[in-house]
Amino acid sequence: MKKKWMVSFSAMALLAGGALAGCSSDNGGGDSSSGDEGSKTEITLAGWGGNPTEQDLLQQTLDDFEEQNPDIDVKLEVIADQYMDVMKTRLIGGEGPDVFYLDAFEAPALIETGVLEPLDDYVTEEFDVEDFETPLLEAFQQDGVTYGFPKDYSTLALFYNKTMFEEAGVEVPTTWEEMMEVSEALTGDGVYGYGVAPELARQYFVAESLGGSVVEDNMANFGSDEVIEALQPIIDQHNVAKTSAQPSEVGASSGGDMFGQQRAAMVLEGNWNIPYLEETFPELEYGTAEVPTINGEKGTMAFTVSYVMNAASEKKEASWKLIEYLTGKEGMETWTSKGFALPTRKSVAEKLGYADDELRGSLVAGAEYATVWSNGTNLPIITNNFNNQFVSAFLGDRPLDEALKEAEEQANSEIEANN
Amino acid sequence: MNRKYSRKKLQEAGQGYFFMSPTLFVLACFILGPIFYAVFLSFHNVRLLGETAYNFVGFANYERVFDDRRALIALWNTFKYVIIVVPSQTILAIILAATLNAGMKGEKFFRIVYFLPTLTSSAVLTLIFMWMYNREGLINFGLESIGLPTYDFIGDPNIALTAIMIMNIWATAPFFMVIYLAALQDIPDSLYEAAELDGAGPIRKFWSITVPHLKPITSFVVIMGIIGTFQLFDQSYIFSGGSGGPDNSTLTVVLLIYQYAFKSLDTMGYATAIAFMLAIVILVATLLQRKFSKEENLY
Repeated sequence: MKKKWMVSFSAMALLAGGALAGCSSDNGGGDSSSGDEGSKTEITLAGWGGNPTEQDLLQQTLDDFEEQNPDIDVKLEVIADQYMDVMKTRLIGGEGPDVFYLDAFEAPALIETGVLEPLDDYVTEEFDVEDFETPLLEAFQQDGVTYGFPKDYSTLALFYNKTMFEEAGVEVPTTWEEMMEVSEALTGDGVYGYGVAPELARQYFVAESLGGSVVEDNMANFGSDEVIEALQPIIDQHNVAKTSAQPSEVGASSGGDMFGQQRAAMVLEGNWNIPYLEETFPELEYGTAEVPTINGEKGTMAFTVSYVMNAASEKKEASWKLIEYLTGKEGMETWTSKGFALPTRKSVAEKLGYADDELRGSLVAGAEYATVWSNGTNLPIITNNFNNQFVSAFLGDRPLDEALKEAEEQANSEIEANN
Repeated sequence: MNRKYSRKKLQEAGQGYFFMSPTLFVLACFILGPIFYAVFLSFHNVRLLGETAYNFVGFANYERVFDDRRALIALWNTFKYVIIVVPSQTILAIILAATLNAGMKGEKFFRIVYFLPTLTSSAVLTLIFMWMYNREGLINFGLESIGLPTYDFIGDPNIALTAIMIMNIWATAPFFMVIYLAALQDIPDSLYEAAELDGAGPIRKFWSITVPHLKPITSFVVIMGIIGTFQLFDQSYIFSGGSGGPDNSTLTVVLLIYQYAFKSLDTMGYATAIAFMLAIVILVATLLQRKFSKEENLY
């Protein structure tokens, strides 16, 4: 009898123990011990997926790295959907990857939590930080400390439909007023002159073109008169002149789609649009130009992503080697060689000659004066509220000033409640 | 009372618990634990990322809901959604079931056709509907061809929630229809025969025999409907790309919880407070419904 009890008791203990281990997040130590066999260190790199060609390029870059560093194994994890949700959850659970992608938009908030490793101490003379485009690098700095190095970027440029421009007999606009005019000539039966995205990520530089600021002291400030005045033309073009439309109004899923379907003669899109159009609408005759000037000032948006290191990583040396290679001159050249992304290093950009590229030239030209899509820790809340109300003004449901003032109030009350 | 636990009885009880232990353990680990943790979180300001910190704030998270315009909009949207969708889908389900039960030709065929939407995953269904709702999509095409005005179902704040309602009624009614169908077939034919002898017509028979006999089922359907509709998330999430837009028109309570829990940092406590309040609202709605229908023999 006693024996039976012993058996069942130990079985229970085993069961409970096993389940407990499954519940807790403490088994991270298991991975690190894998370095014991041989002297290979395995580090994980996480990012979101791109198209297959892009994925091949990344793999090739990683293969080159592994060849140069035979003691390091890189495990690539592709997070297909809800990247930041997955990443935050994993970081909280102590299961974060060693190195991962981070969008500039999310960077300030994540830096503040302290989960990112400061990289300044690792940087060597040879790495040449000066080579990076300054605004892009600044998006990943806080109080002078660098937490990530931008892997690539894209700016917005004006994509225009050559065929439609020829038929309408108009020139490519260089100022915002000209753009309004040519939109008039290009609009017709189900076709709009300008395909617009009524969201802050795309309109930020327009909003600030008259000297206003969307974010001030980490609080929403887009209800100010300068910002409203600067954005009013976007609304008027849609509701008064009726020469612009957002993609959903013509049944398109994105600006690129709208442009490809020839429902818009002009759109402001980024580098990602070039391979997309090539693949989906190969017949399309189009060109790119710099974003038309507003009040004689050049402006555009820049979107960038960096590699950052998990502060909880146990393999920091190896992780740094990976970041160093990927954002270094050699790795970046491989990664950006096919033109899916633009290099953030001036020397690489020069070497690959994108500035002279017929389609990418205007995108590269924008890097100098672009506004980087990143501003403080509260930008996600501010963006959410802005987009929500801006759409209703765009659709003509309510005046712009009223909509934006209300959205600003809401955003600021949310921000205050969070503190 | 002098109840003594004999050694044997204790041993038996021990064995019982031992056999239950895997289940108990799973329940504690994945159901009870998270519930208590959520309650705990809802009274704190929580910072999970980086250095974990819990800051006790009492009922502040609960009070915050009333100052939060988006939370009130979400509540209002959800309420509208429940009030319209639950009765509509219940009535539609009864009508569908009654017509299928009337013994018309091709009954089996229609049963399959009606039931098909239930078999599709809601995510896929939403994507298909978004394609149909498209400015250039099937529904606008249909409206246009019979001379009716077309709508920007996805982009227009005034219509987006209605579009989701229509989709959801269409997708859930058949499921409840099957339940009704089973119940209908349980009603003895003799009742109908007796009514016929008394000269009752089909409508009278429906109201005086079918509907009262379906009361327990209706109660079940309504409660399941209320719980399901209060939890509306996936459709509006996909529909609006996670934002609850356009203009907060598709923002539901669960979507708001998701946004506070995962999209912004440091608001996990607030998110759990809303979640807890939602649970209370659902509980109250269910209790009210049970009180009104006084039918508890089903569960």
